[in-house]
Amino acid sequence: MSETSAARTLRTGPGRVLVAVYAVFALAATARGGFQLATKFHEAPLAYTLSLIAGVIYLVAAIGLARAGRTSRLVALVSCTIEAVGVLVVGAASVFWPAVFPDDTVWSNFGSGYLFIPLVLPALGLWWILRVHRMDRD
Amino acid sequence: MVDWLTMTVQMVSLAMAGWCLVSTFRDQPMVVPHLVGMGVLWLLVLGQVAVSATAMIGGDMPTEPVMFVSYLATVALLPPACAVWGFMERSKWGPAVIAFACLILPVLFVRLEQLWNPVV
Repeated sequence: MSETSAARTLRTGPGRVLVAVYAVFALAATARGGFQLATKFHEAPLAYTLSLIAGVIYLVAAIGLARAGRTSRLVALVSCTIEAVGVLVVGAASVFWPAVFPDDTVWSNFGSGYLFIPLVLPALGLWWILRVHRMDRD
Repeated sequence: MVDWLTMTVQMVSLAMAGWCLVSTFRDQPMVVPHLVGMGVLWLLVLGQVAVSATAMIGGDMPTEPVMFVSYLATVALLPPACAVWGFMERSKWGPAVIAFACLILPVLFVRLEQLWNPVV
């Protein structure tokens, strides 16, 4: 059997919107990080590298959600967790030690530059994956 | 960039977003009129892209050309990509995808205008 019903469910319904949002964020963060690394690496190497890494993680999550198999679901689960931890750690760091991040990343100030979507997105992603996961087990 | 074209794109985009949100809340899937609307929006976006590209070839360069071109490519690809992704979903979540894309598009155009004509 190539596809379980849970696998189909993961990328349909609300999952489809989730994949679209993740794809846009993957593009935004990757393009931003890549561009900044290429043009002004020395100004804030940590912030720019982080932007790029965040972008790649969003991309992995988007693909994991879109492919929606059992393994991809695990991949999406892990990448969403990393995002959740990332946005909280980097958000807190940028508030308490602003000197570490002289230039903004997607995760700075808990994603305030992006309407706090980076803060909400991993939570929504995790909720959706776990919901589908439970359905699959039953 | 042509200012009124940007304004038109933003207005049409927000109108599409509103329409698609109504469809979502009414539990309707995407229908052909939605696609036609996205087609019109895409043509307007492509018009702006063509005008900007022509201006750039004519020597009217924005201060950060690489950034500008990457944003330009994004706005050109966003409407068809989201239309296809939304149309594949035969439930109320299809229009929700389009609504999301149509809310992002005006923001991208604000960034494009800023890059084209930076206010110091």
